[in-house]
Amino acid sequence: MEPCIVLAPGAAEQPMAGMLAQLIRANLDERPAKKATLARMRGRVALVFEDLGQAVTLRFERGRVTVDAGIVGIPDVTLRAESELVLALSRMELEPRSGLPDPRGEVTRQVLDATREGSREVHGLLPSLPLVARLTRLLSVTA
Amino acid sequence: MGVSALPFPSDAWTQAFADAVNASEDYRRYGKPWTFGAVAMVIEKDASLGFDPEPGMILDVHEGVCRGARHVHGLEAVEGTPFVIVAPYAMWKEVIEGERDPIKAMMEGKLKMTTGHLPTMLRFVQSSRALVVSATRVPTEFPH
Repeated sequence: MEPCIVLAPGAAEQPMAGMLAQLIRANLDERPAKKATLARMRGRVALVFEDLGQAVTLRFERGRVTVDAGIVGIPDVTLRAESELVLALSRMELEPRSGLPDPRGEVTRQVLDATREGSREVHGLLPSLPLVARLTRLLSVTA
Repeated sequence: MGVSALPFPSDAWTQAFADAVNASEDYRRYGKPWTFGAVAMVIEKDASLGFDPEPGMILDVHEGVCRGARHVHGLEAVEGTPFVIVAPYAMWKEVIEGERDPIKAMMEGKLKMTTGHLPTMLRFVQSSRALVVSATRVPTEFPH
């Protein structure tokens, strides 16, 4: 089944929602392996951009992504940080074989340090670790 | 003797911007892998400020160096430029005065990338910031 990325009504007015939808579309077009990653994603991820006062919910369901403005429903995972740190997800270095973040990478280290220091908070990470790992792969512009 | 301020936007300001980019160590470092073509920065049309058609700058950036820069007029002048960033004059003024971070302004939708490949721009966040921040080092005379 071909992936489908949808902006929910009203989401287009929020720049981060449009940017995330555009990023996912471009990644799926250029790196077809990400389609298999998307097909395995289920659940809701809320991204809260604290410095912008914006939040976006990504709803994953059988190869379909719906991008909502704000927090919609009960997210499985909530990631809360300054906008640049949230978007650093897309630049984290991934290990080629596992596809998991590579802690030797400069950006991955910055993100992990920010999490340890509390400037980046992730709620619901442990029960949804596979969803977060797949989200990182889906958004990645480096792998 | 102090350096005299250059009118923004103008040919002289654009050349000084290119010089500032080439003097930026950050841009040389972070922009080194950039081989994706020129970047245009365009001021939205505003007849009250005399910006009709839209003034802009095209920076021919490649591997951490600005190889040339042109002050242009009108959106047709930037057609074919791989990356085009558009914003109102007031927003560019805040960026040039160092009062607004250009990356955050893009995320807020205040600087709009109307042409370009978003994943590439995201890969080069630090390079993009260093490029635009170079403008803060140009002594600038604003129209208002």
